Amino acid sequence: MNTSFLLFALLNPLFALLAAPLYMALIRKVKAYAQGRKGPRLFQVYYDLRKLMKKEAVYSPTSSWVMRFTPYLNLSTLLVCSLFVPLVFVPEPAGGLGNIIVFLYLLALERFFTALGGLDAGSAFGGMGSSRSMSLAAVIEPTMVVAFAALAFVLKSLNLHHMFALTAGTVLPISPTLVLVSISLFIILIVETGRLPVDNPATHLELTMINEAMILEQTGKNLALLELAHALKQFLLMGILINTILPVGLSTEIDAGKIAVSAILFLLKAGLLAIIIGLFESALAKMRLFRLPAFYVMAFFFSALTILIEVFA
Amino acid sequence: MIDPLFLEGIIKVLFVFVLISAGLIISTRNLSSVLTTYTIQSFLLSAVSFLLYMIDGKGQLLLLAGLTLASKVILIPYFISRIEEKIKIGRDLHFAYLEPTPSLLLSIGLILLSYTFLSRVFEGLPLSRLFFFGAVIGLSLTLMGMLVMFSRKKVITKALGYLSMENGVLMFGLFVTELPFIIEVLIIIDLIILVMLTTILAVGMDSSIEEYRQKFRKLQIWTGVESL
Repeated sequence: MNTSFLLFALLNPLFALLAAPLYMALIRKVKAYAQGRKGPRLFQVYYDLRKLMKKEAVYSPTSSWVMRFTPYLNLSTLLVCSLFVPLVFVPEPAGGLGNIIVFLYLLALERFFTALGGLDAGSAFGGMGSSRSMSLAAVIEPTMVVAFAALAFVLKSLNLHHMFALTAGTVLPISPTLVLVSISLFIILIVETGRLPVDNPATHLELTMINEAMILEQTGKNLALLELAHALKQFLLMGILINTILPVGLSTEIDAGKIAVSAILFLLKAGLLAIIIGLFESALAKMRLFRLPAFYVMAFFFSALTILIEVFA
Repeated sequence: MIDPLFLEGIIKVLFVFVLISAGLIISTRNLSSVLTTYTIQSFLLSAVSFLLYMIDGKGQLLLLAGLTLASKVILIPYFISRIEEKIKIGRDLHFAYLEPTPSLLLSIGLILLSYTFLSRVFEGLPLSRLFFFGAVIGLSLTLMGMLVMFSRKKVITKALGYLSMENGVLMFGLFVTELPFIIEVLIIIDLIILVMLTTILAVGMDSSIEEYRQKFRKLQIWTGVESL
């Protein structure tokens, strides 16, 4: 444990926690503009979270400890995840933090408990959402493993800290195959955060809900924690994508000026990515559930291709 | 003079995009998107050819880049888009034998196959890494174009599959064999004639081959023996 790491452990989760809701709002705003509406203010998500925080949580009489425990577990899992993804500066590596296998398992843990929480309230919607989420997870998880394996193959490390230490300071991606990996990562970002064409975050219709169905029974403070965890997950996955493909400005040393520049650049790049996600969502219709594997296979195809090219070329 | 290593880097990035476009042609259902993807793929090839000219300085490569640009990026897509306007269908939803998902998985296998095959063939030849990679991608593009012709039902997508196959041949030619320029020209003339024929046959293009004859009879273009 050294000072650089301690600073990182303070700064990175805090930065992620503060900035994450902004990009939920920005994507909503872009979608609203695409539909010819004005959309809510950018800070609306923060106000909503504050309002929910003050409200009392209501539980269904059939629910058990799982439902009460899930929001805290989700948020804390993702806060640990935020130690794995250096967003504004890359610390000197310490311990096993940054390992992508652990990272993937943490995401799986979060997904598992969200699904359990959906089942726990005993409502039909929650059960349906959990069932859908788990069946899709069975398809997307191998794809995710292959995509992260491809990333590890290109950047020659299993540790996200090492990977970003390698990409930091380059202007262009260091290998053409990173373009392919980033397409896979983009698809994973869309799937993991429940966006169109996989899931529609803006509706509560029986036919389209996956993620929303699982948190339908959550109220008050618990809902706020879950929403925050969801925003954080999206922000971290965005961070991985950005620092892989466009790492300009990512700082590797502790210097207040450099970290500030890096943070501002990161916020701008994340803004750009959020606009792209918003436009992507506006351009697509929701896919039929049974056609979704075709969407995942694109990610699988690009990741497998990356590994092939890296091995042979 | 630009650094050749930098140019080779750009060519490698273009290779990646060529492969992406091949994957999209296999899996896209919207006809106009397939056509756009084909146009982009041809443009990428033209760019690769131009970059090779910047490295090599052979005038032939520049001519090839220009020819590809004029024929495959402008002329052929223009004809095909006219066909698409006439037949008034936007999507090719039916697949024979293989759905897009297994097709994509199979094409990973095809790329692997062409790599293994070519690495045996070129064993011991003084071929640089870039040129070998280009040859592998050319061959896989050809095979993937064949996969499109094999798995699609609509004639117009089959034609696009054939065109993308020819792109693969061009790519292979660019990097390995150095086809004589006259043959490239002849191939392109052939392609244009093919596409013009498909334009003339546009009335039948929106059907599968089985429905072809019936349609012709209905429109009284070709009445066949029975009606005599």
